[in-house]
Amino acid sequence: MTAVAPTPSAASKAQEPQRTQKTPKKQAGSVEADQRGKPPSSPGVLRRLTDRADGVSIGWRLLALVAVAAVAIPVAASLWGSGSWPSALTYDVRAPLERLDAWIVDNRESHWVFLYFLLHISNNTQYAVDGVFAFLDGLGWVGVTVAAVVVAWYAGGANLGRRALRTAATALGTFAVIGLLGMWEPAMDTLALMIVAVAASAALGAVLGLLSGVSDRCEKLLRPVFDTMQVMPAFAYLLPFVLLFGVGVPSALIATVIYAAPPMARLTALGLREADPAVLEASASLGSNPWQRLWTARLPLARKQMLLGLNQTIMMSLSMVVLASVIGAGGLGDAVFKALARVDVGQALAPGIAIVLIAVWLDRTTAAAGARLDDTSSSGPVSRARAWAGRAGALAAVAVAAAVGSVVGRDWPVNWTVSISAPINTAVTWVTERIDAGLPLVGGTLVWSENFARWVLNPLRDGLQGAPWWLLLLAVAALALLTGTWRTALTATAALAAIGVMGLWSGSLDTLSQVLAALVLTLALGFAVGVLAARVAWVERAIRPVLDVMQTMPQFIYLIPVVALFNASRTAAIIAAVVYALPAVIRITTQGVRQIDPGALESARSMGASPLQQLRQVQLPLARPALLLAVNQGVVLVLAIVVIGGMVGGGALGYDIVYGLQKSELDVGLTAGVAIVCLGVVLDRITQPAAARRPGGR
Amino acid sequence: MSAETVTDTTDTATDPDTAADQVFSVRNLWKVFGPKADRVPGDESLTGLSVAEVRERTGCTAAVRDVSFDVARGEVFVVMGLSGSGKSTLVRCLTRLIEPTSGALHVLGEDVLAMDRSRLRELRRRRAAMVFQHFGLLPHRTVLDNVAYGLEIQGVGRAERRARAAEMVEKVGLAGLGDRRPGQLSGGQQQRVGLARALAVDPEVLLFDEPFSALDPLIRRDMQEEVIRLHREEGRTMVFITHDLSEALRVGDRIALMRDGEIVQLGTPEQIVAEPADDYVRDFVRDVPREQVVSVRRAMRPALEGEADTGVAIAPGTVVADAIEAVARSGGHIRVVEDGRVLGIVDHARLLAVVAGLDPDAGGSHTGGREGVAA
Repeated sequence: MTAVAPTPSAASKAQEPQRTQKTPKKQAGSVEADQRGKPPSSPGVLRRLTDRADGVSIGWRLLALVAVAAVAIPVAASLWGSGSWPSALTYDVRAPLERLDAWIVDNRESHWVFLYFLLHISNNTQYAVDGVFAFLDGLGWVGVTVAAVVVAWYAGGANLGRRALRTAATALGTFAVIGLLGMWEPAMDTLALMIVAVAASAALGAVLGLLSGVSDRCEKLLRPVFDTMQVMPAFAYLLPFVLLFGVGVPSALIATVIYAAPPMARLTALGLREADPAVLEASASLGSNPWQRLWTARLPLARKQMLLGLNQTIMMSLSMVVLASVIGAGGLGDAVFKALARVDVGQALAPGIAIVLIAVWLDRTTAAAGARLDDTSSSGPVSRARAWAGRAGALAAVAVAAAVGSVVGRDWPVNWTVSISAPINTAVTWVTERIDAGLPLVGGTLVWSENFARWVLNPLRDGLQGAPWWLLLLAVAALALLTGTWRTALTATAALAAIGVMGLWSGSLDTLSQVLAALVLTLALGFAVGVLAARVAWVERAIRPVLDVMQTMPQFIYLIPVVALFNASRTAAIIAAVVYALPAVIRITTQGVRQIDPGALESARSMGASPLQQLRQVQLPLARPALLLAVNQGVVLVLAIVVIGGMVGGGALGYDIVYGLQKSELDVGLTAGVAIVCLGVVLDRITQPAAARRPGGR
Repeated sequence: MSAETVTDTTDTATDPDTAADQVFSVRNLWKVFGPKADRVPGDESLTGLSVAEVRERTGCTAAVRDVSFDVARGEVFVVMGLSGSGKSTLVRCLTRLIEPTSGALHVLGEDVLAMDRSRLRELRRRRAAMVFQHFGLLPHRTVLDNVAYGLEIQGVGRAERRARAAEMVEKVGLAGLGDRRPGQLSGGQQQRVGLARALAVDPEVLLFDEPFSALDPLIRRDMQEEVIRLHREEGRTMVFITHDLSEALRVGDRIALMRDGEIVQLGTPEQIVAEPADDYVRDFVRDVPREQVVSVRRAMRPALEGEADTGVAIAPGTVVADAIEAVARSGGHIRVVEDGRVLGIVDHARLLAVVAGLDPDAGGSHTGGREGVAA
């Protein structure tokens, strides 16, 4: 396995790929299985792109599709006509939803399901969040800051080493800046919600992960659920809970928990399943029973993966908690949201910075804890007495700080704050006035935005909307068939048809046009930068920290600078989507190109291949699975933010969802949400290569 | 294949009645992987086919095929074969880490295959401890806690198990490294931890699964000597799996040579080298320095007139290499003496014939266990 002989022949290269791919969420099993079933690939780009496990040739399957189409389409077209989705085939889903909504509103206070079950959940979450908030409030600003610093320092190794001090300094800086920006109060709101959400989702995720890590049946049951959840845009989670619990903290919290638990569960299960079999066998050979094996070997071995899961869970919680401001979660997200609605960049920036800082602080702290696990240099365990003394000391420090805090006042001192909104707004206006239009030759950002809308988005949208409905169905079926199997093709087509049936055909195609435009931009940029980074070491070094920060930021944040430059428009939403999806695409591309079999590259070089030949003939073909994965990730991420783009002028489905959530018109929001999910399914199935199932990233 | 055709060149009893004296007693053991695996052992039509042919016929992989042997108390029993010969599967069958498909298996007279889970755990906890090729250490624990792991599983209290572990750490030459973690140790040191972990539970028998294959040649030699030393000091029974012939010859009292899941020859190192059962074994031992393995008992000839009274006396178990030295020093022939009785004579010609690999039986008097070799 370790020493792979150089394989210069193209055919063997095409079959060798998967092994190098290392994304945290990859499921080794499915990849292996698909590898085995693969027929030997023949040359030819299409053929190589479409190697399938079931072995039926693409040509035959397309032919079968054409045959079905040849019969069905004339019939359908003559029955219901061409053009937009026929009204005869729509089914009014709004009326029953409205009735359901009305029924729930009427019965929320009286029906037993609410009284004895849902109401308890909602109350308890509310109590929990209130309790944590009261606790944070009780600590005062001094206490909270000291507690955060102590926790960060602990995670960094609890010594005077560089890592410990750096993470502690990050925490200190974060809270100082939050206070200075006058964001203390909303930040504590967000933090309280975060603490409860992370605790709940980590616990839920760990339990589910444990189950599916230990039991094959649970794994079989849960994996498709997690898979689906990963494709769904965050917004889709909010709707059903708003329906059940109404607008407010409980809905936000529960949606967050459900959104953020899967990565923890996934990685816990992965860690448990990937535990070194040699260790487990050694444990069994010493006569351990299954419980002993779990506690002494499997769980400790999975610690690193579990910590990675916790990190992802925390980052996703933050992203969702911020997003949930739309349904009244309050806190920093609310401040950003309100300011964005008024296109007031200055007002949005302060809470935006606070969110970014919190993200960085949390990410660094958990990452430091993870890095500490890798440390083999720290010799020996600290004696128990000393460890307890350390913990007691930390607690004492926080207690003293809290006491000090109650003397100097619990709230951040008012005169220690700086208002940045006015100067920022002046600066932004000054800048945008100079670059939004009237720049000689290049135009300006607003001009670009308009032109992009006029020459790219509009034709694309009109083309999609003008195309006969059966043609789009056929195209989706054919595309899905090319990259997938009969089943993926069927799912994709059905999902698209469902959109039509719900009567959201034209709005969805509008959204689709934005997604496609954003996707093309993302992939073009992402592949270019990714390949460059893979080949030029200093580029990779330069962009890595940028990508790190970008990947920790909640989706919401990207809207702020984009709105400043492009105003509220469809282009702004698309740019935000591109910026948001880019880091993951670049990462996966770079990794994929980098991690190909070095033997193959070396042999190409030894035969005198030029850099371009190396890239074209060796690196790109070998990195194909990674590139396909990048496409799939791009789709998922772009789709996630296009909804949010609805807030800043993206219109179409995104707007419907935001509107529905805010005005509590759930029939509008819910159908639009379902349509988005359907679009997601269509795009995911089309781009999902059967060989590389679930992607990494977020 | 049945038990009678197994090549056994030793005089070890194969009678099941004496099984209680044996640490392990294995009879007609099979391990077949694949669908409907239990059909393969009884199928007469598969006898004599290679593993690949059996797989083609049945879709099953026969990793261990009809293996029988005994391991006597206090001996080092080596199972040797190339990769894929089924030796690792065989050793795992001994404590049912891999469940055998059919056959009989006794430990100190107790039927292993009839054990329930808790009895089996007892067997693994106290009677047979294993040392693995890839160590299988817990990376998050210190050396001391790794060594104490087996005792922890048994439920021994913290203070006691750490004390015993410290003793073992010292015994395998890792004194002072108890607070390190496995990641901080070299491969050889890690395997010493694995060895200490197995020794800590004070088992009746130690099972080694290619313990030194992942180590550098020099370290490997050190470790082999360590094992030989331990065996000399404690006399513990050992089952030792290896693919390295020189290792097998060095540590083994008896060697079972496996190929395609079957034992092709079972005997002392000398028997394997001097009397290979078939071409496969002959090929295997071709490059072995014979003078290091073959004893003078096998090289001697009857004493001629007057020879029985002169010359240096040596024991019949002396290896040829040592006899060469004695002959070179004295310049004449040497008497092979046992219990004051002269068994025979070795001289330049006889010793050189061994080194050259010529048949030493041209005029020899002893034919070892050759009568046991299957035609």
